[in-house]
Amino acid sequence: MRDWGFRAILSGVLGLSLLASACGSSGGGSPSAGSSGKPIASQMILGGPPECPTRPFCEKGLMDKYGLTFKDFKPLDAGGPLTKAALDRGDIQIGLLFSSDGSIAAKGYVVLNDDKHLQNADNVVPVGRSAALKSDAQTLLNQIDSKLNTSDLAGMNKSADIDKQDPAQIASDYLKKIGVSTSGGGSGKGKITVAGFNFSESSILAQIYGQALKGIGYDVSYKLNLGNREVVEPALEKGDIDLYPGYAATELEFINKAKGEATPDPAATVKLLNGYLQAKGLIALDPSAAQDQNAFAVTKETANKWHLVNLSDLAKNG
Amino acid sequence: MSIFEEVVRWFLDPAHWDGTFGIPNRLWEHVQMSFLATLTAAVLALPVGVLLGHYGRFGNLAINVSNVGRALPSFGILVLAVPLFGIGAAPAFIALVALAIPPIVTNSYVGMRDVDPELKEAARGLGMREHVALLRVEMPVALPVIMAGIRTAGVQVVATATLAAVVAWGGLGRFIVDGFAQRDDVQIFAGAILVAALAMVAELALAGLQWLATPRPMRASMRWFSRPGRTDELVLQGG
Repeated sequence: MRDWGFRAILSGVLGLSLLASACGSSGGGSPSAGSSGKPIASQMILGGPPECPTRPFCEKGLMDKYGLTFKDFKPLDAGGPLTKAALDRGDIQIGLLFSSDGSIAAKGYVVLNDDKHLQNADNVVPVGRSAALKSDAQTLLNQIDSKLNTSDLAGMNKSADIDKQDPAQIASDYLKKIGVSTSGGGSGKGKITVAGFNFSESSILAQIYGQALKGIGYDVSYKLNLGNREVVEPALEKGDIDLYPGYAATELEFINKAKGEATPDPAATVKLLNGYLQAKGLIALDPSAAQDQNAFAVTKETANKWHLVNLSDLAKNG
Repeated sequence: MSIFEEVVRWFLDPAHWDGTFGIPNRLWEHVQMSFLATLTAAVLALPVGVLLGHYGRFGNLAINVSNVGRALPSFGILVLAVPLFGIGAAPAFIALVALAIPPIVTNSYVGMRDVDPELKEAARGLGMREHVALLRVEMPVALPVIMAGIRTAGVQVVATATLAAVVAWGGLGRFIVDGFAQRDDVQIFAGAILVAALAMVAELALAGLQWLATPRPMRASMRWFSRPGRTDELVLQGG
């Protein structure tokens, strides 16, 4: 028996591997250090979700509004573990995170200030059915909103996502901190079903609303992790749920079918939102100062190296 | 306009055939990654499978360890590799090599195991030394089955290399992952067609290689499209 078949394979494999090794090496240059006289952005690799290059609040907006062109874009996830791992390892120098992400503080990332107001007002705002939210409920929710801010939200998200605490416990701790009672308000004021989107921040906010309403005597039930806005908003219109924690600009652009009416001004955005909601028997209450919106973050080392504070700093030469 | 017409238009758009984001570059990236991952897996797995099959020891161990490897989801390996090796080609390469090793180990073990013992005796009787018998008698007889393992691994790798786009690498998966993110159904569909077509080409090419590797007297028993070395059957026989 001849083994020439074996030899044929061997030489074939050898030839192909030579071919592959000749063409296979792609240069992965590391970002240059030190001053080179080029815009800082052009020395950075941006990481974000794959839709980022075409989205007005992501790379496209950074180009149009700030005039920033990055060295490269790496398609990763929307503020998730891939983006953070890539930032930590230096595979990207700037990444898209969400402003209320608890790991921003925990990992010491520096969020660059949106000094030209690219992002719209995605402030947390309770959205509910007018019939279910009597005036005492509205007053209470507005009182909570007047205290809630982004760093509170980031702290609570850290407790949930990093310290793995229960959203119900985080919510009751927060209400205690801001002096809102969760018990002793009697009963029999009516039923309210509070829903949340399918992420932990929404569960925490829904629990904050629900536990406070229970405290003044409402009979509260929950539908947490109900789904995305395409599920939650119709459920509210149908009356399956009575209240959910919304985000002003995103709610407006959802209900007006992306007309582009939202602005960086939360009060104006909520006013426009209520214009659409009223006809459906719905209402958006006062927006809180807490925002959950696109935030462009760098590591502390990167911020120090180029003295970065604002997004517009990236257009300077460095 | 139906999605099929839109997909046809997508393919006809010259912008989709040019540069980094074009089909030729993505296809080439995909082929390179798949080829290098399969080759690396073969270099690592063949000696193990062949020697274990030849000596007939620790066979169950080898098969079981490589079957555990088969149960590891590539997606899991991919994501776990990111904190260690960064984004891009490295985690994808590792996940694909891990995917390709089990079928190659199993098939080369079973192929060597199933060589007729009388043939081995005859080789010895002719005065062949052990390594000569291994290389000139046992391996040629086992090659169709060994190659079937490489063929299975290669086609799986081509299909799975799509996942590399999740960790910011290129390849044809880019069209699918980006299409999802941009809610662009046409791009997803086009990407899926390209991956399916490439997997079929890989299947045919590796079948051809398998046929070439089969010693001429044994080819008669092998039809072009048959898969004499289907791993699932052989695991039952040999393991």
